[in-house]
Amino acid sequence: MSNTNMTHHIANYRKVFIFLLIGTAITVWASYMEFNVQNSIAGAIFVGLTIAFIKGYLVAANFMHLNSEKKMIYWILLLTIFFLILLLFIPLLWDLNNMSNY
Amino acid sequence: MEIPYNVELREDTGLYNSKLGIWLFLASEIMLFGGLFSAYILLRTGAPVWPPIGEHGSILHMLKETIPHATFNTVVLIFSSVTMVMAWVSLKQKDLSKYKVYLGTTILCAIIFLVVKYFEYSHKIHEGFVPSHDTYMALYFTLTGLHGLHIIGGIIVLAYLLGPGISMWSSEPERFTNRIEIVGLYWHFVDLVWIFLFPTLYLLN
Repeated sequence: MSNTNMTHHIANYRKVFIFLLIGTAITVWASYMEFNVQNSIAGAIFVGLTIAFIKGYLVAANFMHLNSEKKMIYWILLLTIFFLILLLFIPLLWDLNNMSNY
Repeated sequence: MEIPYNVELREDTGLYNSKLGIWLFLASEIMLFGGLFSAYILLRTGAPVWPPIGEHGSILHMLKETIPHATFNTVVLIFSSVTMVMAWVSLKQKDLSKYKVYLGTTILCAIIFLVVKYFEYSHKIHEGFVPSHDTYMALYFTLTGLHGLHIIGGIIVLAYLLGPGISMWSSEPERFTNRIEIVGLYWHFVDLVWIFLFPTLYLLN
């Protein structure tokens, strides 16, 4: 990579750093807010996790260079995410199966 | 015999081997932490009250007290990710002295993170909030403990690459730069996990 390319990278990393700090501040602020969704903290959970996903995307895309990676890496990650979702849903399916016995 | 594809890219994958290796390792790490997050979601949705009400007073009150520590640690870890990627940029620019400064700062940030965590753990244990206290505390110590172990592992590797491992720079600079890239991928993953742990364990209760 050329030096000009690197200067572009550095400017990008600075921006991402600032966005991540802002995201952290909003997450902390949201946890103190009363979103008043049926007297629960569902609103705060939604805001908190949405920001976490955005921050996660920023780190993965920029610091881990996933925005310009080889196909092989994307396939590995897609397969992992598929199994991760399966892992999260297996207990739920088991639960539904149990419910049918009642 | 020399290990192939340390620097040059394989035609079939388009990657050098250690990069493929670290991504496969990170895939297994996603499943490891994913399993624990899955346990957290199930235990939380199945609990009548969250966090559970324990015998040592309100967990919520204790959590609120530790939010500033956790927020500080989040900023420290994000900053360490920036210095880590800057260490790699410095090597790409053939500037070894800058690399040393950035990698040293990354290690320092990691140590600060662990010191803050130590005080946080001490405070919780002193107040009686040990892993056996309730489901929340068991999850808290398991998830943050496993994450902390990853930080310690990272420090060991980073210290090696700042100390004895740096000699590779004079003989095989490109291979050394690749090493920093893959250890950086690991370090950013550790930061990524914390980005999800922070709201899950500290804020959204």
